Amino acid sequence: MDLSIPLMNSLTLGSLYTLMALGLTMSFSVTKIANFAHAELVTVGGYVTALLVNWMGFGLGESLIAAFIASALLAVAMDEGVFKPMIKRGSKPLFLLVASIGIGLVVRYILFIYADLNAVITLQAQTNVQIIGRFGRAGITTMHLWIFPITIASVVLLHLMFHYTKPGKALRAMADNEDLARVSGVKIYTLRRLMWFIAGGITGVAGGLWAAYSVITPEIGWYALLRIFAASILGGLVSFWGTIAGGLIVGFAENFGITFMNTYFNVNTAYRPLISFVIIVIVLLIKPTGFAGFDLMEWIKERRKKGGE
Amino acid sequence: MQLEFLASYMPIFTSFVVLFAIYLIAALSLNMEYGYGGIPNFGHVFFISVGAYTAGVLTARTVDYLASIKAGYCSGQASVMRTAYLASHPIEAVGLFVASLILGAILGGLFGYLGSYPALRLKEDFLAITLIFIGDMGRIIARNEEGIVCALTGLTGIANPLSFIKDVNTRSIAYALIVVAFAVLAYVYVQKLAQSPFGRLLKAVRDDDLAAMALGKVVPKVRGEIMIIGSALAAIAGVLRTFYIQGVVADDFQPLITFLILTMVILGGMANNKGVILGTLIMTALDQFISPSFMSMLGITVEFDVTYMKYIIIGLIIILVLMFRPQGAIPEGPVETPALELSRSSEWDVEEKLEIGVETGSGGSEKREQGDNQPAG
Repeated sequence: MDLSIPLMNSLTLGSLYTLMALGLTMSFSVTKIANFAHAELVTVGGYVTALLVNWMGFGLGESLIAAFIASALLAVAMDEGVFKPMIKRGSKPLFLLVASIGIGLVVRYILFIYADLNAVITLQAQTNVQIIGRFGRAGITTMHLWIFPITIASVVLLHLMFHYTKPGKALRAMADNEDLARVSGVKIYTLRRLMWFIAGGITGVAGGLWAAYSVITPEIGWYALLRIFAASILGGLVSFWGTIAGGLIVGFAENFGITFMNTYFNVNTAYRPLISFVIIVIVLLIKPTGFAGFDLMEWIKERRKKGGE
Repeated sequence: MQLEFLASYMPIFTSFVVLFAIYLIAALSLNMEYGYGGIPNFGHVFFISVGAYTAGVLTARTVDYLASIKAGYCSGQASVMRTAYLASHPIEAVGLFVASLILGAILGGLFGYLGSYPALRLKEDFLAITLIFIGDMGRIIARNEEGIVCALTGLTGIANPLSFIKDVNTRSIAYALIVVAFAVLAYVYVQKLAQSPFGRLLKAVRDDDLAAMALGKVVPKVRGEIMIIGSALAAIAGVLRTFYIQGVVADDFQPLITFLILTMVILGGMANNKGVILGTLIMTALDQFISPSFMSMLGITVEFDVTYMKYIIIGLIIILVLMFRPQGAIPEGPVETPALELSRSSEWDVEEKLEIGVETGSGGSEKREQGDNQPAG
């Protein structure tokens, strides 16, 4: 069977899942909130992009910047409006999770009402997609020229930010131990805002790219959330590189897995989400830390030692 | 005149009562698991759906066999024939209803036991994530398999067990009474359970499982048991629902249903069954009356689907309650033990004594009021 199409799909979706999951990993590692409203950041980014492109005639680039800002502001508003006051009142982490579900419902169904009134329940950004090359039977389009560079650039920029800038280092310190960071003079509330802004923004851009790549509905975020969590959980919900690996693994496992099972076992392709679900359950039950703390070089050394014995 | 006027509202009233009772059973079981047991079973809708599917499959298959219906399992013809058969065979209809309840509860308990496997091993929020997705995976499987509930079209022709009663009004009132009886039984059962030593053990495990373990309690066993009890109750709610709407559709069991039931528990007050009744009443009213059919009855026209409004309100209630009154409308009270009852009825007050030491009298009650004003936990 021809593997070029699932390969291209895996890479594309894997990149999108990575972008979305990076935001979740960031917010979870710093605030310890399993944020279900993360789904809505994707949807809002997608809608902003698609509506700007279709109605205002903006280019994709400008629209993605707008999506970044819209989702970033929504993320900051979520934190300032709900999470921060709740944490100050001493809420349990589980209550924060439930509250995030509440936020998700509110945002999703406001979007639904808006979409219903304007007849945009299903929507795709009308961009000029051209096939510029071939990879086996799969076409490489101008869309891929947006998705791959943006993903790579985001990953590199985030890495640089977290390792070579002061706020980035402070955020890592906060993720490690908030109280200790605070007594060391880190302005935790300012940094939290910055973190939500960036995490929300990246997620919004991913949503925007999704809107240009395929059709979106107000439920697209909820649909993607399973994959986002799977990718993040593969990274232990705290590891940056683990999340990137997780996003790609989820992309590949879903596309190859379902193509394989469909071809040989005649399994319905609608079972695609089950693959991500199985990933979540297996990782959580067997190795809840995921790839966090996993060091490839150490692992190879250990294997060599064992082989030598 | 007056009676006719009332009769026209009867269907709305009975449907409200039935839905309230079904939701109440579901909410009580979630309260058992989450409020008392501390297990965030946010895949609750899955356990309800287990009961619903069991009732549908068992009834449809048995009737197909008994009446030797040759038309396809999912065909409309088979559905009509099933309804006719059940209407003319009251004993079989009631028997299947009872059998569905029993089998549904057993299967629900079984799945609950399976669900307790992650519940013993994961931290609270990870468990919540897993269970939310378990709930949705069940739906995805059911909506894609023809053999369970006919994929997207849904299984129909699961006639009401009382369909031998010809008058529609009498029948719906009788069924409403049956469902209410089940809700009352469920309430009495969970209330007794909560006040029993097992209920206190549950609270102990919820508040500090390490301490409970140190006292020699087997925490995994307790958690497994409460998942079995809760899920079996949830499945019974599902069975009652299937026979009420006379069919079962996989897409009815969206994760949103879990959140609706969760809102009932949170709004009313976790670990307080009276609170859950209040929460269920409010949320069922919301669920029933913010609907396109009710809006059109009131003559209100809206450009968009009104159900969206319902979910926004649910979301707002969740956020506001958790922010401003996390203990719910009626906060968790002390466990009603004989000792507590005795202390209430007798002349001197144990709680008062404990708080102010030896002194009793007017000064004591003042002090107690101050203590009551302090925010809990």
